[in-house]
Amino acid sequence: MLAQIGDEAKLLAGGQSLIPLMKLHFANPGHLVDLNFIPEISYIKEEDGALGFGALARHAEIENSATAAKLPIIHDCAAGIADVQVRNRGTIGGSIAEADPSGDWATVLLTQAAEVRCLSPKGERAVSLNQFITDAYTTVLAHDELVSEITVKIPPKGTGAAYLAFKRAAPVYPTASAAVSVAMEGDVCKEADIALGCVGLIAIKATAAEAALRGQRLTDKSIAAAAEAARAAADPQSDMRGSAGYKRALVVALVKRVIEIAARRARGEQVEVSHIYA
Amino acid sequence: MANKFGGEEKKWVGKALPRKEEDRLLRGRGRFADDIKLRDMAYLRFVRSPYAHARIISIDTSAAEALAGVVCTLTGKEIVPQTQPFIEIGPDSKVRDYPFAVSKVRYQGEPVAAVVAESASIADDAAELVRVEYEALEPVMDAEQALQDNSILHEEAGTNKIWHGVFEYGDVEKDFQDAAFVVRIDRLHFHRFSSTPLENNVVIGEWNLKDDRIYYSCNNSFPSFAIQFLSAHLNVHIDRIRVQTSDIGGSFGIKITNYPQMAVVALASKKAGGRPVKWVETRSEHMTSSAHGNERTFRDTRVALDKNGLITAITSRHIDDCGAYPRYEPLGCVIWSQVFPGVYRFKNARIDFTQTVTNKCPVGPNRGYSRMQHLWFLERVIDICAHELGIPADEMRMRNYIRPEEFPYTTPNGCVYDSGNYPGMLELAKQLIGWDAWKKKQAEAQKQGRLIGIGIGTTLDSGTNNFGQSQIVNPGAPFSGNSQGANCKLDIYGEVVVAVGSCPQGQGHETTAAQVVADVLNISPDLITVRTGFDTERNVHTGFSGTYASQFAVSGLSAVHGAAQKLKTEMKRLAAFVLESEEDDVEFGVGAQGPELRAKRTGKSINYWGLANIVNVNSAVLPVEMYDITLNCRYIWRAPFKVPDKQRKYGNLTLTYASQLHIAVIEVDRETFIPTILDYVAVDDCGTVINPPIVEGQVYGATAHGIGAALLENCAYDAVGNMLTSTFSDYTPITALNMPKIKYGHIQTPSPHSYSGAKGMGEGGAAPIHTISAALQDALFSNGIIIEDSFNNADSLFRALVGKEICQAERLVKLERRAS
Amino acid sequence: MPENIEKISVKLNVNGKTYVRNLEPRLLLVEFLREELDLTGTHVGCDTTYCGACTVLMNGAAVKSCTVFAVQADGAEILTVEGLEKDGQLHPIQKAFGDSYGLQCGYCTPGLLISTYELLSHNKQPSDKQIRKAIAGNTCRCTGYQNIFKAIQLAAQNRTRT
Ligand SMILES: Cc1cc2nc3c(=O)[nH]c(=O)nc-3n(C[C@H](O)[C@H](O)[C@H](O)COP(=O)(O)OP(=O)(O)OC[C@H]3O[C@@H](n4cnc5c(N)ncnc54)[C@H](O)[C@@H]3O)c2cc1C
Ligand code: FES
Ligand code: FES
Repeated sequence: MLAQIGDEAKLLAGGQSLIPLMKLHFANPGHLVDLNFIPEISYIKEEDGALGFGALARHAEIENSATAAKLPIIHDCAAGIADVQVRNRGTIGGSIAEADPSGDWATVLLTQAAEVRCLSPKGERAVSLNQFITDAYTTVLAHDELVSEITVKIPPKGTGAAYLAFKRAAPVYPTASAAVSVAMEGDVCKEADIALGCVGLIAIKATAAEAALRGQRLTDKSIAAAAEAARAAADPQSDMRGSAGYKRALVVALVKRVIEIAARRARGEQVEVSHIYA
Repeated sequence: MANKFGGEEKKWVGKALPRKEEDRLLRGRGRFADDIKLRDMAYLRFVRSPYAHARIISIDTSAAEALAGVVCTLTGKEIVPQTQPFIEIGPDSKVRDYPFAVSKVRYQGEPVAAVVAESASIADDAAELVRVEYEALEPVMDAEQALQDNSILHEEAGTNKIWHGVFEYGDVEKDFQDAAFVVRIDRLHFHRFSSTPLENNVVIGEWNLKDDRIYYSCNNSFPSFAIQFLSAHLNVHIDRIRVQTSDIGGSFGIKITNYPQMAVVALASKKAGGRPVKWVETRSEHMTSSAHGNERTFRDTRVALDKNGLITAITSRHIDDCGAYPRYEPLGCVIWSQVFPGVYRFKNARIDFTQTVTNKCPVGPNRGYSRMQHLWFLERVIDICAHELGIPADEMRMRNYIRPEEFPYTTPNGCVYDSGNYPGMLELAKQLIGWDAWKKKQAEAQKQGRLIGIGIGTTLDSGTNNFGQSQIVNPGAPFSGNSQGANCKLDIYGEVVVAVGSCPQGQGHETTAAQVVADVLNISPDLITVRTGFDTERNVHTGFSGTYASQFAVSGLSAVHGAAQKLKTEMKRLAAFVLESEEDDVEFGVGAQGPELRAKRTGKSINYWGLANIVNVNSAVLPVEMYDITLNCRYIWRAPFKVPDKQRKYGNLTLTYASQLHIAVIEVDRETFIPTILDYVAVDDCGTVINPPIVEGQVYGATAHGIGAALLENCAYDAVGNMLTSTFSDYTPITALNMPKIKYGHIQTPSPHSYSGAKGMGEGGAAPIHTISAALQDALFSNGIIIEDSFNNADSLFRALVGKEICQAERLVKLERRAS
Repeated sequence: MPENIEKISVKLNVNGKTYVRNLEPRLLLVEFLREELDLTGTHVGCDTTYCGACTVLMNGAAVKSCTVFAVQADGAEILTVEGLEKDGQLHPIQKAFGDSYGLQCGYCTPGLLISTYELLSHNKQPSDKQIRKAIAGNTCRCTGYQNIFKAIQLAAQNRTRT
């Protein structure tokens, strides 16, 4: 289908990124191919110890899905994107294909060993999320290729993850956000994944921050060290959402809080997370 | 209070009556300007400047004109020969203001041309084909820099300064000599924001070439002012301009200044052969080029206080930034002085006031216009002095408030505050918020290193202007006083129909007007039709008619009351004749045949239909001496004002002074720097309340505007004049998630100036901005921080606390102790 | 340019009535509703999908009709503010907004009514926080939201009572 239309074609999923751009004349694709008429790719399923999200699964469907609720961080993310109306349309596939530097999904999925299934007339391939997005608004997708599914492994017990953002209002992207996943053994953090959103051209995997936690007991000190390492990893721009200096400070605060929530979840606690609004 | 005023029993006034406007709006049947579609209508789109300051080298519209579906284009050069520059309110102004930039552009988003096409989308495409060549000039983005005149916006004027004047009362220097304390504040700054009504500007205009009249359907909120500008600008007799409004999706003053766009639409219609032309503003256009509120900088403030912390004198230099064109300005240079001392008792002060143009969007009279800037300044002064002297904020206010027994209170500049009880409001607000409990919590939290602040903001909402104040800024201005018209009639079949000169945008005028008439005629408001919107053709407007400046409850309803009484008198006379009874024996009531007039003790009555029948279609039965009865009564209400003393800048500038007192408890998070409102109380006093839920709704709305302005909404520009908040997504108008729960309370000090005791209200004096600044300062003062700006968000608080970039007390404020 | 854009045949149901139209592919749903069907109760307040004045129900889900192409509504059921009343009687949500003074200028109201409709369709007794989240995408410039919160609570109460 795509191959026939050629270079000028754009896929239309939820349209919640593409239509605003077209309205402001920032995009003017020659053709639009509406994915919405392919109902087969809007599923949310659990299979072989992994969650599979069809590319067309809407944020709201994920927010309200009992299956997706197995991974609370997925719910944190889905429920915090924009507002009800945008969540009712926007899709997980569109979100990562758009590769907006402030998009929530990429940040969250970076901590979840997510894989992106890509489909083209030539066949199918799976790309790990950290290789999928290469730059702001840029992915490895070929022009005749689409995202068909995103899969996330369900981690073993003892792992907890959470996602938190600061937003000025619901229908705008966050000022900064942080996603953390920790695998705990008692008090000790065995494995950590930390990703930062809105503070770089793409979501940033804060590896030094992860290293600061790995093998450590979670104390105020180790958490603060990780948060400081995250600050160093952040590379924000000053804009209307905040100055670069402020965003770095915010990263520190967010990372600290998210580590704590992730650790509590790792211990089996139910913790509800809601973004912070101005 | 007695249950009677204005001569009749208060049955409906004061009631929580459901709004008449509701039904159509709830059903989606409101009629907003953009809902109107006319035969053969064409669509207009503006071509706007990407530069803040540039010379226009050339405009090439040929490609646009060549596009299929384009009707015509229009540029500044073309309209100059056909029009006069807009009226300037300022004295000897040399500014030449046209609805298009002619030789240069002066703010980003300024219209340079327009395209008219068969459809909105063709007009869109065509606008992109207009080629404009510019030569960039140095933009002037800061008011104080502008006053150096290094780069001049209006070369004809030779300076960026628009107005300068000194407001001085009393022996200021003596107070400073005698002062126990002198506090100096280097700089305070009130930011630019806009209340951004949800409905953008819309103009449909038709310059009908057959009758040579201009017909507008639009959402201008002060049409009688607009037609005065348009008539002079377009060289058209004022009666040839008809303006109609219907439902309006909010204005907050912003839609007063859309007359330049109205002019373009008319001229475009003329060029298009008289076809109706529609312009619907986009939100981005609204943000960059509609109108913003005034930005103001307060320099070199000195405050003299006695040993008890009573302020005796203030001197200060105020610099107001009105954007690229003065438009409604320099009225703002005097409007603030309606509240010269705010709610405080000091008598002596010298304010040196200057206004300047800059390369930003022109300002318009945004809700709380010009007064909120000044009131914020005074509240900052109070809190800064309180903190410097170590006096609690509530105590500081109690010592400085004008006392209840002092009303009516004459201010140093001759304004008469009609009534008020500020200590009473403070008491009530403290009670509602649980002041003592919060003080305790605050102390505990402080021990844990948390930053919690409690702030008070007291403010005034002055309503019903004396336009004579325009003569203080321009001695030659031909304006004074204030008036409003209304018409009340029995229509041919006896229906009661009311028309008002106001131009409502959600304030419930249809409802409150019906309440007033219902009391006069002793019938139910359901039986009264109040016309929607404004129409010059109804002939009820005066030159001041519109909806602005918190005045409907006074001027509008007084006019309605006057018209209804006139009608009542006529009905009585006529009924007495018909019923062969004495006028004094005629009673108003409702009978089996609907509303009627009865002759006491006779059992005789005549209903409204009967009366209307005689006057309108059965007049042969009417004796000659009754020929003056029309049952169609127009009444013009006039405010009892005098022309102020221009030299001394002295006189009563407004009729009523509603007041607001807010208290906020705010915590600034130590790590995220996000300020969170933990508790909020709004106490209001607008005299006698005509419809309590409507008043409460206005208070909530004004409170949201203030909280939004204080924490989220800022019209930001970069150094070269690009507007950084040109969309809602950047500007982030306040949403349900940002809005705290508001506790509401009110007291009533009736105004002696309105027939009902009501005071104008609705602007709210921006109380939340003062209150939030105060609370933030209370939270941060122990860290040596003074809140210097009216806009504070997490980022600016971060920069204050960590970056130490701004508002450090030791730099900004100096305390001189002279007390022995 | 405009002539050679291929129109697309669309069949959709709006407020219980079925419409079949040939539409330009880039026509927004809100433009279709307002301009073609003259359902002007749905409003436009912004150009960046912020304000929610354009909110309509599409197959039971609230959407911002300024950010949906009309052709995407092919086969869909749309409910706009005009479709809320029944036989001239206000819908309980409309009534609750009126009774609570939940509107002033009324420009945001149609969108808010629809967002409330969606909320109450799956949440009979929303908490204060849930109400705020549900209308976080609907800007109101007049009311300060307080009476809207009350209106939604009242609408929920009235529903559970009946
Ligand atoms: C007001 C508003 C606020 C928002 N706030 C947030 C927020 O806070 N956080 C956040 O993360 N997002 C936010 N978004 C974006 C929203 O989440 C979008 O839904 C998402 O970014 C894009 O998803 P979509 O399905 O709408 O994609 P579309 O807009 O349809 O498409 C986006 C891009 O991806 C391409 N594409 C779509 N699907 C595929 C596919 N399956 N394979 C390949 N390419 C594809 C399209 O061609 C297009 O280039 C906001 C959007 C709006 C309008
Ligand atoms: S008009 Fe659709 S969100 Fe503003
Ligand atoms: S009532 Fe005016 S915008 Fe909500």
